Amino acid sequence: MTRFGYDERSAALLVFPVLAVLLVVAAFPIIYSFWVSLHDIVLTRPLRRPFVGFDNYLRIFDDARFWTAVARTTVYTLVCVAVTTFLAVLVALLLNEVFPGQRLLSALLLVPWATPSVVNGLMWKWIYDPTYGLLNGLLVQVGLLERYRVWLGDPDITLLLIANAAIWKQMPLAALLMIVTMKAIPEDLYRAARVDGANIWQRFVHVTLPALRPGLMLVLVYETMISIRHFDLFLIMTQGGPGDASFTLSWLIYVETFRSLRFGTGAAMSYVLAITTFALSWAVIRFLGKRI
Amino acid sequence: MTSPAKSFSRRTAAAGAASAAMMLGAGPAALAQPAGAVNFIGWSAAVDQVRAQISAFQAATGIAVNYENFPWAQYRTALVTRLVANAPIDCSWISDAWLPEFAEAGWLADISDVSALTRYNAETTAYCTQSMVYKAKQYGLAYYGDHMSFMVNTDMLARAGITTPPTTWEEVVEQSLRMKQQGVAEFPLLLSLAADTWLIEFVSALNFSFGGRFVDDAGNAVMADANRGAVRAARFLREAIHTHRILSPGAVETGEINGLRAFGSGAHAFAIVPTYRIRALNDPAQSSAAGKIRLALMPKGGPSGTHETCGWIRFWGMTPGAKADRARRERTLRFIEFFGGRDTAGNYSMQKLLLTDMGLPSCAVPLAQDPEVVQFWQRWAGGGAVVAEQAGLARKKDVISPWFGEWVETSNQAWQNVCLGRAEPEAAMRAAGAKWTELKRAFR
Repeated sequence: MTRFGYDERSAALLVFPVLAVLLVVAAFPIIYSFWVSLHDIVLTRPLRRPFVGFDNYLRIFDDARFWTAVARTTVYTLVCVAVTTFLAVLVALLLNEVFPGQRLLSALLLVPWATPSVVNGLMWKWIYDPTYGLLNGLLVQVGLLERYRVWLGDPDITLLLIANAAIWKQMPLAALLMIVTMKAIPEDLYRAARVDGANIWQRFVHVTLPALRPGLMLVLVYETMISIRHFDLFLIMTQGGPGDASFTLSWLIYVETFRSLRFGTGAAMSYVLAITTFALSWAVIRFLGKRI
Repeated sequence: MTSPAKSFSRRTAAAGAASAAMMLGAGPAALAQPAGAVNFIGWSAAVDQVRAQISAFQAATGIAVNYENFPWAQYRTALVTRLVANAPIDCSWISDAWLPEFAEAGWLADISDVSALTRYNAETTAYCTQSMVYKAKQYGLAYYGDHMSFMVNTDMLARAGITTPPTTWEEVVEQSLRMKQQGVAEFPLLLSLAADTWLIEFVSALNFSFGGRFVDDAGNAVMADANRGAVRAARFLREAIHTHRILSPGAVETGEINGLRAFGSGAHAFAIVPTYRIRALNDPAQSSAAGKIRLALMPKGGPSGTHETCGWIRFWGMTPGAKADRARRERTLRFIEFFGGRDTAGNYSMQKLLLTDMGLPSCAVPLAQDPEVVQFWQRWAGGGAVVAEQAGLARKKDVISPWFGEWVETSNQAWQNVCLGRAEPEAAMRAAGAKWTELKRAFR
């Protein structure tokens, strides 16, 4: 039996402040926000905040805006995760080879990742600008466009354009994780495959890809968690518009909480988003984890 | 023997715990502002002018001022969270759009019983005073009062051989098409229709000019009524973008600032712009179209059209916390009078400074005769006659209500969907009207 002696007591004493801080800044807000989600709290009506149980959750499931936001978030997340992962694998394959300038290219790859999110959003907003944007200028000059086009004002492509800005920023980190995983693949496996007559595609499918699973799992979980909760780009580039074309779940939560000041339903939506994120991550880990 | 490590750990832990307890216990007191100061919050506008006036106020009264400001886009949320948390705020800038919800929430103190401030009503335009009144109580003194103006680029009109600015929206379409045909402008009309805080002012101006209302005098939604103008205004927007192509589809992502820049670049002939922007638009240092921008009355639209426009005011409001404490109340009232009324020398110094430096129109009637003010309008707008006439035709937003903040999100989406061609004007206005009715019912 472990004796709770002087060392243990000292350790407990030293750990206590950190634990207390964590309880105050992490555990308390989580529990409190759940408590808030069970009340009908509208900040502009401070004198009434009735307890409504799970009514807020039922109300949001009954709200057409919520399901529109879920659909948009799903599309956005699928595009972001799929394209980011695909490009990350391609870039990792390239940078895993030895060629002149490989180190410089590896360093340059990190520039988008190191760019602050706000700067990234503003940069892409300017690129897409309908009057002086770089994209319009480029496409008109090469003859692919006859006249300047309104990019972010086109509801059919707004979400994809925002996803493009997100992928530009997120892909480098994913590629870096893939490169690290690739470096860990024993060279012997490739030599053995070559001896067996495997061509480059077969070596990729049968050696590289199976060995990439740990990295893939990490990238898929991380990118899913990031994309599903993306907010900054929507705030800077479209504010949920045009119309409701980029009204994703995180934007809806922002509008509900900080514009309509409905903290009760806002907190309930946040819980739905958090639980969904956890569930998706858990599913990816379960699915890919079995195969590692 | 006591080891140094043991001694250090215990003492440090004890000292740390004591310090933490002191900080937690002292809390607000430790963070409190200097005693005897006025705590004022505004948005990040006219910051230099406010600071200059604060210095003058401190020199004249000896009362210190703690001034904090936030960007306009985050201001309402920042202010609300501080008010909910009972932050020690004495005075803040308030938009007329928030008055009912702030008053209902108990975050604003009425000043109807303060004769030192209400005496200024006799020198304030009626529209401004009415905009600070809710349920027969007045909640502040005006910071500035402005309205949406119809502005024209006279140079572009001249190039198209047009001698008289349009007086109806039909003429706007006609003249715009002429300019398009002559290659003077691709999109002669400019409207900033991004879903931001300005959108309701732009569409209200358009709605009023079509003789429309969003709600009737009883506060019931009439925006979906095809004969009340809102539907006609929405139809005009859709046709301007998709049929006549005189308004860029990019209008839905053009915010007020970007619209100002675009109009100042000389690429558009007609625009609806807040009047106070006339100074920037005719300033060669800020605008390529400087000297060519002139004001015209808001065009009339449809059979029941008028030259009416949307007006708004921002005002200096006092918190109930400040009103409840005698010393704070005295300081805050002096502060509000110095900024929203006359200073200790008897001049409307702040209002004049805001106009001459920033172009922000004043609600103070006596200032209209001030030679510097007359000179200001002459220099930047070619005279003050149109400004005065349009100001007289300005209407307060009829949607100002305790649920305005929630409703406007739906309204913004409805107008944008019309512009995008994703919703019929009638259907979009019905959706906005239904939301209004739902919120109004829920508020009871």
